[in-house]
Amino acid sequence: MFTDLSMTIFSIFAQMSVGAFIVLGVVQVLARTRGGRSAEEIDRLTDPATYAVGVTLVLGLAASIFHLGTPMNAINVLRHVDSSWLSREIAFGLGFAGLGFAFAAMQYFKWGSAQLRQVLAGLTALVGVGLVASMAMIYASLDAVPAWNTWVTPVQFAVTTLLLGSLAVGAAFMGTVMWRRRQMEQAGEEPATDERDLATITASLKGIALASIVLLGAAFVIIPLHLNELSQGGAAAVASAEVFSGAMFALRLALVFLGAGLLGFFVYRFASRTEVNPQPLAVVATVAFGLVFVGEFIGRSMFYESMTRIGM
Amino acid sequence: MAVKLGFYFDQTLCTGCKACQIACKDKHDLPLGVNWRRVAEYGGGTWQITGDTFAPNIFANYMTMACNHCDDAVCADVCPTTAMHQREDGVVAVDDDLCVGCRYCEWACPYSAPQYNAETGRMSKCDLCTDFRGEGLDPACVAACPSRALDWGPIDELREKYGDVAAIAPLPDPSVTQPNLVITPHRSAEPVGAATGAINNPREV
Ligand code: SF4
Ligand code: SF4
Repeated sequence: MFTDLSMTIFSIFAQMSVGAFIVLGVVQVLARTRGGRSAEEIDRLTDPATYAVGVTLVLGLAASIFHLGTPMNAINVLRHVDSSWLSREIAFGLGFAGLGFAFAAMQYFKWGSAQLRQVLAGLTALVGVGLVASMAMIYASLDAVPAWNTWVTPVQFAVTTLLLGSLAVGAAFMGTVMWRRRQMEQAGEEPATDERDLATITASLKGIALASIVLLGAAFVIIPLHLNELSQGGAAAVASAEVFSGAMFALRLALVFLGAGLLGFFVYRFASRTEVNPQPLAVVATVAFGLVFVGEFIGRSMFYESMTRIGM
Repeated sequence: MAVKLGFYFDQTLCTGCKACQIACKDKHDLPLGVNWRRVAEYGGGTWQITGDTFAPNIFANYMTMACNHCDDAVCADVCPTTAMHQREDGVVAVDDDLCVGCRYCEWACPYSAPQYNAETGRMSKCDLCTDFRGEGLDPACVAACPSRALDWGPIDELREKYGDVAAIAPLPDPSVTQPNLVITPHRSAEPVGAATGAINNPREV
């Protein structure tokens, strides 16, 4: 268990960053078009989450360095972009980080027009999709590893990206709200949250809850299909399927199910009420994220463990 | 392109003594756990039923494997640094100045030829004893085999002499990497795709 810890951390954090960035973009667009909010109003809500994405990505990239035997040669990994998916992954990773930081800095200092920043955010999201796609291809393109060499790898990566991204954004929104209320309290004021802000957050959380349930459904369809595929493969495929069994596997499924499904349901219920105190919602959103994060983390480390090659 | 080099293995002669593996390890001074050449013990069996009598019907054979310096060298294709590269003579080797020790080539190769050396933080592998060949000597494994089961040379010549069989279990289907390898199969050898046996010393290979 946890043999490829640095790769697990890197891949989970990088995918969560991309997912969160995309979800934040969707929230921006919907809040403006459907919620009728102004760019500044939404920025106030999404900016802290955007900065958190940056922190997550940096942590992930830092973890990836520990995977290397000779980190001093790290710059060489860009030499084979024309052939190696690993080179491409790093290129997209650096592109996503670079564009993301440019975007975050422009948001922070309010540089450039809102439109320019939107275009940059869109470009960043596209490069992020490229990052997740090239990550998937690293594994999916290996003929020697039947557990990875399947359509399941990209689909599973996409699900993880969106699931963790959605729930992280939900938790970040509620964290922002609670943090601001605490600051007010500390300043001796009555804690309050702008009603329209709360409406936007509530609407976002509803969307996130719905998305989580759909993604959960997808995840629970993919897993049996994958196991079925492996059971019909050669000896290496059958052997690799053994990883996906036992108590840890059950725990992983239970955590994701509880987090995304059950709590998604509660978020939906809570968010439908117009509560004055957002604390229960904050707890639910955070716990949901925590459970799914741990579940996906175990899942990814099992993914690495399932590396059984054909041949000898 | 210059002549392509490869290995020949006569499975009918191999006794599983592992002299090739040890000669390689000694020649290249490889640390514990790093084995450029490995010998798999492949075996299996069924029950032969005659009337009420069940008799075991078993088989075993050996497969020695280093690197096949493949035409379709996936190890080099996937390497992000170009450290893993194919030379003019087809020999696939690691450039230590470039290798970042990511171990991606290890995942890609179905022959376990790239062997990670934790002491150097880099990948290492068979280079067909480039230095020995330069002195007119045979590679260490070929020279060490007491049964004369191993040979090396231009792959065209090897194929002309020994045929072109390489699809023998527990090896992968040759279509994956186009290995420069020729095998004379043991009488109990199983072709890839119809394998019923298993490697009985998995921790050694
Ligand atoms: S046997 Fe493996 S390491 Fe050697 S050339 Fe073929 S793919 Fe590369
Ligand atoms: S370990 Fe070295 S030779 Fe192998 S893929 Fe990574 S950089 Fe290339």
